[in-house]
Amino acid sequence: MAILTGRYGQVLWDPAGTTPVAIISLNKWVGNFTQEYEDVTCFLDPNRVYIPSLPNREGTVGGFWNSAELAIFEAAESPTPGKLELIPNNTEPTFKWTGLAYMDRSIDCSLQAPTVTGTWKAAGPFLLEGGV
Amino acid sequence: MADTSDIASALIAKLGSDAELLSLCPNGVYWDEAPPGSTRFVIVAFINAIDRGVFGKRAIEEGIYLVEARMLSTVQGANIKRAAARIDELLEDQPLTVAGYTWSTMHRLEPVRLTEVDEVDPSIRWNRRGGQYFVEMSLIGA
Repeated sequence: MAILTGRYGQVLWDPAGTTPVAIISLNKWVGNFTQEYEDVTCFLDPNRVYIPSLPNREGTVGGFWNSAELAIFEAAESPTPGKLELIPNNTEPTFKWTGLAYMDRSIDCSLQAPTVTGTWKAAGPFLLEGGV
Repeated sequence: MADTSDIASALIAKLGSDAELLSLCPNGVYWDEAPPGSTRFVIVAFINAIDRGVFGKRAIEEGIYLVEARMLSTVQGANIKRAAARIDELLEDQPLTVAGYTWSTMHRLEPVRLTEVDEVDPSIRWNRRGGQYFVEMSLIGA
């Protein structure tokens, strides 16, 4: 095990929710897995006290607009979730977050190469395989 | 296989195949430096370049190229104004065909206009005019 580059990250998606394939022209993904906590502070507690609720499972994927790759935009039109896989480095392909997710989309077009962003939210268990 | 040098070669070929530009700059179009004795020519050179990647590969190559006509002030009939204008006509928003790439954009970022005193003979001047051109090429398959 070692610290690895993000250059070989990968985002895979299958609108049918079974066998994801890599989305090309992407160079970024973010997973927001932060835990939500409930404040259960009581009288005379010396400080605020919390108990964990459920962790969040949402994030973004991003890259360049490529008319040959419309997966994010097609996903955003779908009323059903697809299967999303987020891989930090594909030389360790067993370490990935995966599950069903909904995808939303945006495009940013300026004088530079247009960029796209897909915003995903879990539609079921979205878990890290290969660890934790 | 995409080769960055081919972008510069295509740029030089595009300029060097234009009859009007060659009539204005008869010594030709060169990368970095012209042959000794040249008095009217075009220079293409790198100013800056950056590659932009996607997961697992290079996706976009961006280069800023200096493209300028250079003319010795003592040459009769030298028309550097027209040479710079012709360079701009040939490059501004014009496609560039390079194997392994898809042309994205080519346009001027800023004009260049300089007068340089000759190091050997301070009585003569070199006029330089053209621009800094932004060339963006996408790698096919990225």
